[in-house]
Amino acid sequence: MTLQTTGILPRLGHGVGKSADAVTAFLLVQPILVTMGGLVFYPLVDTAWDSLHRVNPMQPGTPFVGLANYTRMFSDREVGQAWLNTFRYVGICVLAETVFGVLAAALINQLRTGRRWVLAAIVLPWALPGVVSGVIWQWIFSPGPGLLNGLLVMLGFDYEGHLWFNDATSAMLGICTVHVWRMMPLTIVIVLAAMQTIPGELYEAARMDGASRLVMFRNITLPLIRGAIAVAMTNATVQAFNLFDEAIVLARNSVETRTILIQIYLEAFKKFNFSYGMALSLTVTFVSLAISLGYVLRIHRTTRLD
Amino acid sequence: MRLKSDLILACAAMLMTTTGGVALADDAKPFAGQTISVLLPSPQDANMAADFEKATGIKLDLQTASWDDVSVKVSTALLAGTAPADVTEFDWSWTGQFSAADWYTPLNDTIDAATLEDIKGSTIFNVGGNVLAIPYTNDFRVMLVNKKHFDDAGVTAMPKTLDELVAAAKAIKEKGIVKYPVGLPLSATEGASTSWYLLTKAFGGDLFDKEMKPMFTAPDSAGYKAMAFEMMLLKEGLVDPASTGLKDSEINETMFAKGLTSIMISGEPGRLGQFNDPAQSVVGGQVQAIPVATESGKTRSFGLLEGLGIPRNAQNPDAAKEFIKWMTSKDFQIHNYSNGVLPTRTSALAELQKQGMLVSGEALVEQAPTVEALFPAGAPTWYPQFSLAVNTSINSAAKGEITVDQAVQRIADAVTEAMKQ
Repeated sequence: MTLQTTGILPRLGHGVGKSADAVTAFLLVQPILVTMGGLVFYPLVDTAWDSLHRVNPMQPGTPFVGLANYTRMFSDREVGQAWLNTFRYVGICVLAETVFGVLAAALINQLRTGRRWVLAAIVLPWALPGVVSGVIWQWIFSPGPGLLNGLLVMLGFDYEGHLWFNDATSAMLGICTVHVWRMMPLTIVIVLAAMQTIPGELYEAARMDGASRLVMFRNITLPLIRGAIAVAMTNATVQAFNLFDEAIVLARNSVETRTILIQIYLEAFKKFNFSYGMALSLTVTFVSLAISLGYVLRIHRTTRLD
Repeated sequence: MRLKSDLILACAAMLMTTTGGVALADDAKPFAGQTISVLLPSPQDANMAADFEKATGIKLDLQTASWDDVSVKVSTALLAGTAPADVTEFDWSWTGQFSAADWYTPLNDTIDAATLEDIKGSTIFNVGGNVLAIPYTNDFRVMLVNKKHFDDAGVTAMPKTLDELVAAAKAIKEKGIVKYPVGLPLSATEGASTSWYLLTKAFGGDLFDKEMKPMFTAPDSAGYKAMAFEMMLLKEGLVDPASTGLKDSEINETMFAKGLTSIMISGEPGRLGQFNDPAQSVVGGQVQAIPVATESGKTRSFGLLEGLGIPRNAQNPDAAKEFIKWMTSKDFQIHNYSNGVLPTRTSALAELQKQGMLVSGEALVEQAPTVEALFPAGAPTWYPQFSLAVNTSINSAAKGEITVDQAVQRIADAVTEAMKQ
């Protein structure tokens, strides 16, 4: 009733032609509109509104504070360090996942037999929760009985009892390794799917023209999988911005390795600065989206030009 | 002789458990059939659920995790407006925050005057006349030593000063008894904070003045010296560098209980029973408590009482109160000592001492009167910010990322910032 009276539905009752299509389309998108509205947009707007107030369970009332929670970020040294760490993680992880993911996909694409089994094995880390990955790698990095030190010692290197997480750089690289290990399979799957859509005739023609494998990869494969790479990079960026489990399991709250998400968690759930945590969360969301959108648009434009 | 005393001890424990059970079982069981959830730090008594159900008819869903993890679970659930369990751990350091947020039900009707008199530490959880939790573990700090390691190294006198402690640790290391004689958590966890608080006391100072201004930034202050002392122990190879990634519970369980370290700087007296139980540790019979060694030789300590509280949103608050009464009863406290939980009831402590069951009773009796409150006026609401700044700064300094000067300044800045809010 309300749908008709409020004019939301275009001319209900005419069951033929464009109107019927519009009604059907409108009804079909209802579930996603309701779901997205209830679970994404409403919480987002509510969070944005709360971030303009002081929400702290230990203080009475929730007075309006304007942009104070946002301006505070600029003078907060811990937040600054966490942002810096996060950008480092994003840079290292996205680069590593993209480069190694594309190369791994190209290698798997060459396989004539057993490709599905190799793929199944590669996808396994992606299926593991971040905490589980962190715990597994905690054993690998462990200074005493750890696998990594054991292997290095076996190879003749002086790594007996080496502490990977007592140095900011190696700690960060260690966390990146775990994250890349877990997330790279998704890049491989996306890129491999794109590679398999490239017609074989293109490679045959290039081969007849005397093109080397490298030339074919650069001039045929890469241009035709740019769209897939953009999707994979977008996913990798969002996931790297959301890095939490691996860092907190491997290095706890350490300032040198703390990501912005860990900082948000500490602000909200340790210090109880709830609205400040909300402001930080929204900022992370928009920064992550802006960067992802940036290279999606860039690659999309390049692809269209091609 | 040993066998005989063990038998007496076992019989006494059985007798106490049985009589306690019978006494409660004879009472009415108004909440029989109900189920309550309880969230506590590990380890807890393995038979707790069965014994509690036998005594009250209430089913117990006991969840345990490390103290740090329990802390996260409790605060996260409470912030979300839900109860993490019907009964939860309530640490002394949460009092300021939780009272301000009004998250816990006052337990004034659960605790009678006689119990309040018997559990003197309960005042730490009393805010404006509301008793928010009842202490169940008498956690104050002593130093724990592996006497056998000392004997093997030829160290006959137990250290009273920090210089003597370092000398003993060096002697143990030089003899090759253990590689890292001193157990000291340096990870970004609460255990690193509490160790520093204790060492600050050991250097004869306090953390804050009466106006709550930090007293640890000057190089001649006790707090500064305490942190420099920790870094010296690390630099001298007396503390395992891997401690930058270990919680205090991990150092207790994976190092001290396995004979891999000889001195726990910030030792929990409750763990003495556990360490000396051959079923739970490989250093059974070797561990003893000593009063905290200090710079001057005059021992000091501070208390970290842990209580049991009922969140306001608990589903079964009345049955939950039964659990608190049961767990803080004299009989259960005596029984629970074997699980590493030192009784909060004076009467239970006296009984253990009388029966000769209190390990290192003399040291504990010597230390007890020196136990001070870390914050005499009650834990401030900004304690979590302070504690977080302390342990992350110690962690950074231990990894060589910042100097002691920078670390203490970082803590002071965090306090100033937290006080502003």
